Amino acid sequence: MDMNEIKEIFFQECEEQLAELESGLLKLNDGDRDPETVNAVFRAVHSIKGGAGAFGLEELVAFAHVFETTLDCVRSNKLEPNQDVLKVMLRSADVLADLVTCSRDGGSVEESRTRGLVKELEALANGEAPPAAEAPKAAKPAAAPAATPTDDSGFQPIPFTFDGFGEEEDAVEQFTYEVTFKPARELYAKGNEAALLLRDLSRLGEMSIACDTDQLPALESMDPEASYFGWKISITTPKSEDEVRAVFEFAEWDCELEVKLAEVSADEELPMVPVPFDLSALDEEPAEIVEPQPKAVAAVEAVSSVAKAVNAAVEKKESAAAAAAAATQNNAVAAASSAGQTIRVDLDRVDRLINLVGELVINQAMLSQSVVENDTNGTSNINMGLEELQQLTREIQDSVMAIRAQPVKPVFQRMSRIVREVADMVGKQIRLVTEGENTEVDKTVIDKIAEPLTHMIRNAVDHGIESPEKREAAGKDPEGTIKLSAKHRSGRILIELIDDGGGINRERVKQKAIDNDLISPDANLSDEEIDNLIFAPGFSTADKISDISGRGVGMDVVKRSIQALGGRISISSRPGLGSTFTMSLPLTLAVLDGMVVTVAGQTLVVPLTAIVETLQPEASAIHSFGANQRLISIRNSFCPLVDVGRILNFRANQANPVEGVALLVESEGGGQRALMVDAIQGQRQVVIKSLEANYTHVPGIAAATILGDGRVALILDVDAVVGASRGQSLKPEMSLAAAG
Amino acid sequence: MAARKAASGKLALAPVLDLNEASVLHGQLMSMRGKNIVIDASAVERAGVQCVQVLVAGAAAWQADNKSFLVEKASDAFETTMQLIGISEANLVAKEI
Repeated sequence: MDMNEIKEIFFQECEEQLAELESGLLKLNDGDRDPETVNAVFRAVHSIKGGAGAFGLEELVAFAHVFETTLDCVRSNKLEPNQDVLKVMLRSADVLADLVTCSRDGGSVEESRTRGLVKELEALANGEAPPAAEAPKAAKPAAAPAATPTDDSGFQPIPFTFDGFGEEEDAVEQFTYEVTFKPARELYAKGNEAALLLRDLSRLGEMSIACDTDQLPALESMDPEASYFGWKISITTPKSEDEVRAVFEFAEWDCELEVKLAEVSADEELPMVPVPFDLSALDEEPAEIVEPQPKAVAAVEAVSSVAKAVNAAVEKKESAAAAAAAATQNNAVAAASSAGQTIRVDLDRVDRLINLVGELVINQAMLSQSVVENDTNGTSNINMGLEELQQLTREIQDSVMAIRAQPVKPVFQRMSRIVREVADMVGKQIRLVTEGENTEVDKTVIDKIAEPLTHMIRNAVDHGIESPEKREAAGKDPEGTIKLSAKHRSGRILIELIDDGGGINRERVKQKAIDNDLISPDANLSDEEIDNLIFAPGFSTADKISDISGRGVGMDVVKRSIQALGGRISISSRPGLGSTFTMSLPLTLAVLDGMVVTVAGQTLVVPLTAIVETLQPEASAIHSFGANQRLISIRNSFCPLVDVGRILNFRANQANPVEGVALLVESEGGGQRALMVDAIQGQRQVVIKSLEANYTHVPGIAAATILGDGRVALILDVDAVVGASRGQSLKPEMSLAAAG
Repeated sequence: MAARKAASGKLALAPVLDLNEASVLHGQLMSMRGKNIVIDASAVERAGVQCVQVLVAGAAAWQADNKSFLVEKASDAFETTMQLIGISEANLVAKEI
């Protein structure tokens, strides 16, 4: 494992920590005052700082340090996390995320942004914030910042001076603290050593110690690697409580630690033994010990998994496997608050497994087919065994797919930042409410949904929600709400974006569409059709092109991105009440439930999700229209009939519709088309094989698959086929609309 | 008494008594149960708490067995660590009764 790989792990962990940070801050914002939430937030920043220190990412360390210091004030109840404070914290989380990104991908965060926030954070920590930020605990000595790795990077650590503690820190003033320290097993497992922590503590002043050995079991039943000893320590020092705590800074999560100012009459349960001042005997550390210099230890140990790996790389004492195991184990510890046991697996490995399972499915289908062909009565043992195999294969496939499934939470969290930023920019008050964040969907879908969703959120903030004044005038809450929700519905994921803004101004949309030659001036369109015009290429209703929602290439790009994922998007809007965008996406891009059909001797697969119904056309239902167009009459309405074989150039002339089967499909914009095929073979789940990767892009074809008989079947791109048919029939349609 | 003295052993501690050594030391002590034992701590350069835990448990076990458990020739590092972590001589010595 080289340094780059270790760094990569660090950045992956940063992503997780940032997500923790944001979700914690949002919880606090919603009024959650659970100390564990505050701790989780603090821990997240603390871990990022520690890991960043190990890699010398000074800018990141410096900012995280200031952020952490302010969070510590919240943690110790010196600062009330009210809305104003949390606003600064949330913006700080955004900057921290940017700094992490810049550290990973290069580039830099605008210095003015960082500097401005540092000042705000410092002000909060200094108690200059809102009135709620008074310091309740007056008896405590000034808490000087613990570690100061920031000295040479432009940030000055802030000396805390809380009201009620007016006196300057006096060099000769001594405090006596009672420290209770009980390490957990993990403390040792992560390479920390209690004796070294006690050594560092003893260097702060005059120390007496009592070791509690009561927990130590009998020799034969003890676990040599467990932790049984605990200590009660009394230390007299000029240092502040925070400085005393700082000794345990990087082991804090792996021990029980209590530091408090000593009571006047300390009631000792254990006899205290003075610790000698001269600890020089402990200073000589043998060369072969895996024990970096204390400072390095501190920095490295913060992100413990990275630390293990760093040790492995630097000391070359641990094998890569051991480091990886440590990384996994410690990652689980770090994420203990959020998840159970997890392992980190390279995505390529999962994809390889998915491909192999895909091959297995195909192979099993081929085997089944040849057995069926040779065993017509279907009663042989082989046949029955094959059925079980088929079921097992399906289960394996589902399980493998589940590995790639991820909750949409990270994407949703990113959206809350966008809402914050854009709302600030346009001077609106907007609250983002998320629902169903734990709904899982394939990782590819998650990766690809972020961009269109971002665009839609920006649009909703910029155009959807009105200004506070307008809202108030309309009798609404000046704070607008955008709701983002996800749920599973019939094998797909449904993502809804609902705003309580003004809704679509249909008059303006229609006028714009007329101005842009998208519709004819006298076209008679339903409300739904007008709403859907916003998805038309080049459509923008913003009178001014803003930085926020782009240059009018917005919603059609969104629509295309969604469609490229095999999804659909629709909008419904109520004037004055807001709009709802609904996206329906497949759960996975690796398999597909399809209808296997025959067209001009070729086998094609039509995605089942696109098919509304199938029907056998009767001659009386077919109507010719123009030179080449035909319509089919279905329950008293007309639907264009599209000959798939002709569109794909499988045959020169249109086939006779009466001899085939019509598949009624729903295409973009909600319009329906009847796709004509020669025959239906059946429904089947197929493994999607990319045509682009294996051959080249073919218009009208989305991908390919391998069938049970070993033949390649093409998967129809329904929207492209419908689009092509519309290309031929677009003009007549428009004139139809114009004719009313 | 003579019979008891016939079975005795010596155990030299490693220079680095870290996490890895704790299991080794535990195994060594377990294999020496029933004998009087003298622990040579002269080579110790660094003593970790987990090894000390094993030694303290060992002393208690030997005490229970009525066997002697003596730490001798302790290095400065060993002694200082014991003081630092609050382990007294009494924790580490089992006297033959």
